[in-house]
Amino acid sequence: MRLTKPVIALATVSVVFGLAACGGDGGGSDEPRGTANSDDVDKSKNEENVTQDPTRVDGPVEIDGATPGGTVTVLSAAGLNTMNPSEAYYQNTTSILTGLVTRQLTQYVYNPDDGSQILIPDLATDLGTPNDDFTEWTFTLKDGIKYEDGTPVKAEDFVYSAAASMDRTQFPEGPAYSNDYLVSGDTYEGPYTGKNGLDGFEGVTVDGNTITYHARLPFPDLPYWLTFAAMGPIPEAAAADPAAYAKHPLSTGPYKFGAYTPEKSLELVKNDQWDADTDPGRTAYPDGYNFDLQTASEKIDELMLGDQGDSQTTLTYDDVLSANYRDMDATDRLVVGGFPLTSYWAPDYRKITKLEVRQALAYAFPYKDTYRAGGLIEGVTATAGDSLLPPGTAGRKEFNPIPDHEVGSTDTEKAKQLLTDAGELGFEIKWPYANDDEQAVAVKDAIVASLEKAGFKASPVPSTVADVSTVRADPDADINVRPAGWIADWPSGGSWFPPLIKSTNLKAEGVGSNYSVFNEPEVDQKIDDVLALPVDEQADAWGDLDEDVMTNYLPLFVTRYGGVAQQHGSKIEGHFIDNTIGMPTWKNIYVVQ
Amino acid sequence: MTTPMGTEVLDGFEEEPEKPRGKKAKELTGRSPTRIAFERLRKDKVAIVCAFFLLLLVLIALFAPVITKAFGVYKDLDDPNAPTPSEMTAGDGYPLFGPPFEPFTWDHPLGIEPQTGYDNLALLVYGLRTSLEVAFLATLVATIVGVSLGLVAGYAQGWVDSVLSFIIDFFLSFPFVLGALALAPIMVSRFGGSSESLSKAQFFALIGVLVFFGWMGLARLIRGQVLSLREREFIQAARVIGVPTRAILFKELLPNLVAPIVVAVSLALPGFVAAEAGLSFLGIGLSEGTSLGKTINSARNYYDSYPLYLFVPVATVMILVVALNLLGDSVRDAFDPKTRR
Repeated sequence: MRLTKPVIALATVSVVFGLAACGGDGGGSDEPRGTANSDDVDKSKNEENVTQDPTRVDGPVEIDGATPGGTVTVLSAAGLNTMNPSEAYYQNTTSILTGLVTRQLTQYVYNPDDGSQILIPDLATDLGTPNDDFTEWTFTLKDGIKYEDGTPVKAEDFVYSAAASMDRTQFPEGPAYSNDYLVSGDTYEGPYTGKNGLDGFEGVTVDGNTITYHARLPFPDLPYWLTFAAMGPIPEAAAADPAAYAKHPLSTGPYKFGAYTPEKSLELVKNDQWDADTDPGRTAYPDGYNFDLQTASEKIDELMLGDQGDSQTTLTYDDVLSANYRDMDATDRLVVGGFPLTSYWAPDYRKITKLEVRQALAYAFPYKDTYRAGGLIEGVTATAGDSLLPPGTAGRKEFNPIPDHEVGSTDTEKAKQLLTDAGELGFEIKWPYANDDEQAVAVKDAIVASLEKAGFKASPVPSTVADVSTVRADPDADINVRPAGWIADWPSGGSWFPPLIKSTNLKAEGVGSNYSVFNEPEVDQKIDDVLALPVDEQADAWGDLDEDVMTNYLPLFVTRYGGVAQQHGSKIEGHFIDNTIGMPTWKNIYVVQ
Repeated sequence: MTTPMGTEVLDGFEEEPEKPRGKKAKELTGRSPTRIAFERLRKDKVAIVCAFFLLLLVLIALFAPVITKAFGVYKDLDDPNAPTPSEMTAGDGYPLFGPPFEPFTWDHPLGIEPQTGYDNLALLVYGLRTSLEVAFLATLVATIVGVSLGLVAGYAQGWVDSVLSFIIDFFLSFPFVLGALALAPIMVSRFGGSSESLSKAQFFALIGVLVFFGWMGLARLIRGQVLSLREREFIQAARVIGVPTRAILFKELLPNLVAPIVVAVSLALPGFVAAEAGLSFLGIGLSEGTSLGKTINSARNYYDSYPLYLFVPVATVMILVVALNLLGDSVRDAFDPKTRR
C-alpha cells in the first residue's frame, strides 16, 4: 500500500514508501487504540486482529443513535492520485473508493469492541470457497446489484476487472497481486495494452452468478486481495477509456461521483441505486461528502482546532502536526490508531558483512531523536519496535533480536564496544537523504551525531525528495544503508518476508523491495517452507521466522512502527481508524443533527 | 557631531584643523563630496541610530562562537557535547526546558527549538552570521561586477555599449525566484557527493544567484553617470594628453562615482539580507546549516503556541533590514547635492 503522498511512493510491486522516517508523513503507533489497552495487546495481536466473519452477508447496517443528513467536508494536504479503481493504490484513493463508492466481493468492517477490522462478504454471498491447495476460489455474486446508472452488475464484470488489474503498462502504479498470483498474470498484457481484449486471460471464469479465481500459486489470502477496488466489478463498455473512467468510476456503493476536479476537490453524492439491504458493512447517513484537497497542513489544523461553523462537520485523514498535538489531544476530537507500517534501516548485506557491525548500527541509531527531528509524535505516530512484523499481524512475536538491546534505546558506548571488538572502528556508513526536506535534514543531523559518537564514520549522501527512492532502488549506488518503510496490504506475514528479505536476481530485477540486498539461500528456503505449510500454521511460522532471521542475521533493524493521529469536528461521529490502512472508518461516519 | 566643528559647514584642508581653530574659524576651502556627505551623515540622528544597531548586529554575528560558548549552548549537533533532540524535547517535540511550557531559564535565554532541541540563541547568532556573510559577499561581488561593466559600457560607446546594455537588459528580464528554484536541485545533483561539499556549494551558489540577479541596477546607474561624465572637460583633457584608457576609467572616472556607488551599495545590502532569508524560507537557499530564513520557516507552525520561537528571528531580520534601509536612505540624502537641511 502506498502512503497518501505520491512523491515518496515507490514503484515496486505492492506497497512501500520511501524514507518515511524522514518525510514526517507516515506515522505510527502500534497499539490499535492508543495506549489504554497496551497490556492485553499482546494477546489480541495474535488472535483478534482482522478476524473473518463469513456469516455477515445481509444488510442493512444501523448504528444506534446515528442520524441521517448533513454533509461531511474532508480536508487533506495531499491530492488524490488517480481514482481509476484498477490503479487506486494509495491509502486515500483505496480507502475512499472501497469505503464509499465501489463495492467488491469482500470488505472490511470496523469492530467497535477492539478497534480491529473484520473481513466480511460484500457483493459475494460468503468469503469464498477455496479448493484444497488454495489455487481455486469460488464466489457467488448476490442478486439485484446495480451500478449507479441502473444497469445490473454481471459476473463478467469481475473477469474484466481482474484482467484490467493485470495491465501494468496502463496502470503502472496499481497493485500487482493479480500478476503475481493469478493464472496468466505473467503472460497476459491486459485489455488496454494487449491487442486482443480478453483473449489470453484465464485468471477468472464465470458460470452464471458463480465467479471462480484461478491462481498459479497457493493464494490463501485471496479474499483480502478482493477487498481492493481493482477487483470490484468494472463494466467493460464504461471503462473502455481508462482516463475517462478515472474521472467517474461507476459506483455500486452508497455514494457516487459528483463534481470532481482531479487532485483538487471531489464531491460525493448519494447513489439511489445502492440497496442497503444487500450491504452488510456500509452505512450512508450523511447526504454527501466534499473532499477539499491540497489544503495546507497548518490551515487544516487551524480549522480543526477552531471547530467553528462548517469545521464542526469536517474531518481530515492527515496527521495532526506535532506542534498542535497537545492542543488537539486536549479535545476529544483526535483519533489515534495504528496501521501496519514498519520503517527500518536496511544495511546492504553485501557491503556490511559483519553481524556485529549491523548490531552496532542498531545500537547507535538515535531512534527517539529521529522521531523528534522528523516531526513525529512518540508513541502516537512513531513507536519503537524490534520485530519486522508490526503489531496487528497474525503470528507476531515479541522478542529481542539484539543481545541486551532495550527496544528504541540508543547506546553509543555499547555500539563502540561492538565495533572495537569487531575491529571495525571508523566503519563508514553511507545512506541517502532528501536534502530539500527540512525535516529530513534535521533527521540526518541527528543520525550523524549519534553514529559519530558510536565510532562510525557517517557520510550521508544528499539527494532530493524526488530522487531519493531512485537512488535507493539502484543496486550499484554508492551507499551501504537504505532507509525504507513497508506497509502491509493485508495482515499476514506473507506480505512481509517474501518481498523484504527473499533474495532477488540483482541483474534482472534490481533491488526490488529487498533493500538490504539480503541473500542467504538458507533463509530463502525457510521462506518457501513456510509458504508450503498448511495455512493455519503459517501465521506462527512467520513469527518464528521473524525471530530466527532477525536474531541470526539482522538483515535490517526496525526504526519505528507507524500510526496516525486524525482530527474531526465536534459534530462528526463514527470516525475511528481503519487499522488495515490508517484511514477513517468511512462506513461508520455520521453527522450529529 | 558633538565636536566643536559639528555645526560648521565649511573648514579647511589641513590635517587636523579643529583643535587650533575652534568654533569661530570660517574659511572658504574646497572639500570632496564624500567628505561633505559624511559630515551630513554625522548630523543625521536616524543614521546614527541605525548605524548603532547595525554595528551591534555585526558584532553579535562576529562573536557568535564566543556568545554561544559563554551561554554553553549549541546551534546543532556538530559538537559531541551538544544535547540530543530527545534530551531537550518531549514526545511531541516541544522543549522540556524554558518556554512555552516551562519557566524561563538562563541556560536557554531564548528558549529551545522544538523538534530538534537546538538552542534558539545559538540559532539566532549563527543565523545572523550566515545572513550577513551572504549579504556582504554578494554585495561586494555584485558591486565589482556592476561597476566594471557599467564603466566599460558607458565609456566604450559603440557596439560594446550596445552589447553590454543588451546583456544588462537580458539579465533584468530573468525571473529571479524561478532561476533560484531551478538551480537548487541542480546543485544537489552536481555537488551531492557529501553533505559538507554540498553545503559549501550551496553557500557559494546562493551568493552566485544573488549576484547573478543583483548587479544590473548598479551597472545601469554607473553607465548613465559615465555617459555624462565622459563628455566633461577633464576627461577630454586626459584623453587629449594621452592618458591610457585604464587610467581614465579608474583614476578619473571612478573617484567621481563614489557617491552613487556608496548609495547603491547601502541600498543593495538590505535587499540581499531579505533575499537570503526569503530563499532559505522557500527551501531553495541553504538547506544545511543555520539560517534565519530556515528558522522562520520551521517556526511558522508555532506562531500561536510558541511565539518567542518565531518572533525573535523575524524581529532580527526586520531590525537588520530596516536599519540597513534607513541608513541607505540617509547615505543617499547625504550624497545628494540637492538636499539641504
